[in-house]
Amino acid sequence: MLRLGPGIIARRVGAEGGYDVLEVFIGPQHPASGHMRLIVRLDGDVIVSVDPDIGYVHRTMEKLAETREYVRIIPLLERMTIIDSCNVTLPLVEAMETLLGVEPPPRSVYLRTLLCEVNRIASHLYGLGIGSVMLNHSTMYMWAFGDREVWLTIAERLTGARLTHTYILPGGVRRDMPQGLRDDIEKACRYMERRLKEYEKIFLRNPVVESRLSGVGVLKASRAIELGVVGPNLRASGVRYDVRMTGYAAYGDIGFEPVVGSEGDCLERIRVRIEEIKASISIIRGLLKQMPEGPFFSERFTRLLPPKLRRIVEEEGRIKLPGMYVRLRPRNGRVIRRGEAARGEITYYLEARGGFKPYRVRVVTPSARNVVLFRELPPGHRLMDLPAIYASIDYFPPEADR
Amino acid sequence: MMSGLVESLLLGLVFPGIGAGLVTILFMIWFERKFTARVQRRIGPLYVSKRLHGVLQLLADGLRFLFQEPIVPVSVDKAGFLAAPILAVVLAAAALLFLPAAPGLAAIPTRYNTLAFLALMAVTPLPIIIAGWASDNKFSLIGALREAFLNVSYEPVIFVSILAMIILYGTVDATRMVEAQAAVPGVIANPLAAFTYLVAVMAATDRPPFDIVFGEQEIVSGPYTEYSGILFGYTMMRDYLNLYAFSIFFTLVFLGGWLPARSLPLAPLIVYVKSVAVMALLVTFRSIYCRLRLDHALRLLWRLILPLGLAALALSASLTILHGGWLPHA
Repeated sequence: MLRLGPGIIARRVGAEGGYDVLEVFIGPQHPASGHMRLIVRLDGDVIVSVDPDIGYVHRTMEKLAETREYVRIIPLLERMTIIDSCNVTLPLVEAMETLLGVEPPPRSVYLRTLLCEVNRIASHLYGLGIGSVMLNHSTMYMWAFGDREVWLTIAERLTGARLTHTYILPGGVRRDMPQGLRDDIEKACRYMERRLKEYEKIFLRNPVVESRLSGVGVLKASRAIELGVVGPNLRASGVRYDVRMTGYAAYGDIGFEPVVGSEGDCLERIRVRIEEIKASISIIRGLLKQMPEGPFFSERFTRLLPPKLRRIVEEEGRIKLPGMYVRLRPRNGRVIRRGEAARGEITYYLEARGGFKPYRVRVVTPSARNVVLFRELPPGHRLMDLPAIYASIDYFPPEADR
Repeated sequence: MMSGLVESLLLGLVFPGIGAGLVTILFMIWFERKFTARVQRRIGPLYVSKRLHGVLQLLADGLRFLFQEPIVPVSVDKAGFLAAPILAVVLAAAALLFLPAAPGLAAIPTRYNTLAFLALMAVTPLPIIIAGWASDNKFSLIGALREAFLNVSYEPVIFVSILAMIILYGTVDATRMVEAQAAVPGVIANPLAAFTYLVAVMAATDRPPFDIVFGEQEIVSGPYTEYSGILFGYTMMRDYLNLYAFSIFFTLVFLGGWLPARSLPLAPLIVYVKSVAVMALLVTFRSIYCRLRLDHALRLLWRLILPLGLAALALSASLTILHGGWLPHA
């Protein structure tokens, strides 16, 4: 440590790549670091290297999952991304269904997809809000969070919970769509489309915002593929890849075209998310139009209910589960299932070796795959670009740490 | 003699001095928060004094600052750390002493009040740099460096804009400047100078999009990171007091000061109302813009705003040559 008289600290870390660097610790107790620490090495105002120090919210979710019965894993794992809880548990439930040999009824598949898209919109709005307040654009922050509330209300009316819905279960969904929700969803879609135009005016085409975002943190398509980046960050670089293209859940029926950008800079990443909100709205409209009638939970479980309870399930549109449902015992085997969460591809590996609990649950989350961008993008940029890059990656630490 | 002293004290402590300044700060922060809240579809401060729409919220915050322990970390340079925020407020308050509130009515009457005001305001960034250096914190240091960078960029603009008006009016006395605007206010005579002055003032008072020194998202609170309690309160007050001082100055130089009134009860009131209007305009930018990047802000100030200021200077000079001076008896 080198002390230049009283009061000044100049900790020389030594030379790095020929530069004398100053080390700045941003986080974990920092207004804009999230649950992580960024070790930034600066040469003057220019970033030499960034070392993302993750793991502050590691909750041993994979290990905990081995100690729980199958159904009880869902509420556990959806807490790793509570703002996107339906998307992150859908592949897990599908994996369980594969091992159990249960086929969810078509209506429940549509309802799942509907909630996934509602989640995606809410999650993108969350990312947009956090991202804009990192640039100190408080209006966009408040607008995005205020409008996110619309979609949370829709989710609440569908599932009963704002965030941790635990809506999808092996065999179907917990509740049928309530009456009148269809019209309200359409109203919400129209409202959102109107608001997106205003977002465009105050944020995307704001000259100050543009100067902060465009040309900053450019990620080339080839490099994005090399690094294994997923989600909107990948598509903003011009790579046409989205797990929804494989047509899981009801995406195959609806027909889906991914939103692909070209520039690969911060502005493009945020623009891709906003375009994805539009795409999600059109998917929601398609789902509502084509939604089939019928049961919302697999007959295999509902017929185990006593007749009186079964009638209540049919009348009220909400499932009453038989007690044995906790003790599901799938066949032995290994399954890998993927899905497209709001932040990108999420992959589950589920291994069952008898018993009521899984032998192994492995989950690779999109944020865990995108965190490498913190190391890749900022070097060479100014310190003030770091929040802009953070904002555009839409990184969610609890999701990466699990 | 006695009455002159009382008059000076009144002017220094009440208006345009620190008293009115503090009340205006309370009101202006409330207005800023309420306005921003309205744009952002929120309610804004309401909890304290519900009937007054939360206008006393800032008073409550200030009281809280007073009763909170100001923590002085062991590794700071004590003298600099403690003196800087107080010095910042005192300098801005001292600059106010030179501004006339009515014809010939200033706490320190002098014919060179414009120069004295600008000189004192030019010193106000120094306490921030001292604070950043004394805090022994990397974020504070980076913040202080940002202030230093910005300071050398906005200060010339302020001087050039005011110089344009000095040439136009042919005087450095703010009282005579106001009188010179009897026919045409300065903002119409030289709108370029008014524009460049306002932009530079926004940079000088850390208003968005120039709130680079504070830079919460990168450097926590910039030079003020280590401050707590009433010392932090002073640092907060500093920016708004500067804004207040610069707004009164703008009113005098560009908006015709106390005109059309010249007599006592009305003249200071008109100055006050015009200044508050200017402040209110400047605080609304928070809800539109995000923060500029430091190098972009410097580029903007040096490559666009300063040449515009020089153009304003040329405009004033050519007006003066064509008109033969703006003052009828100059």
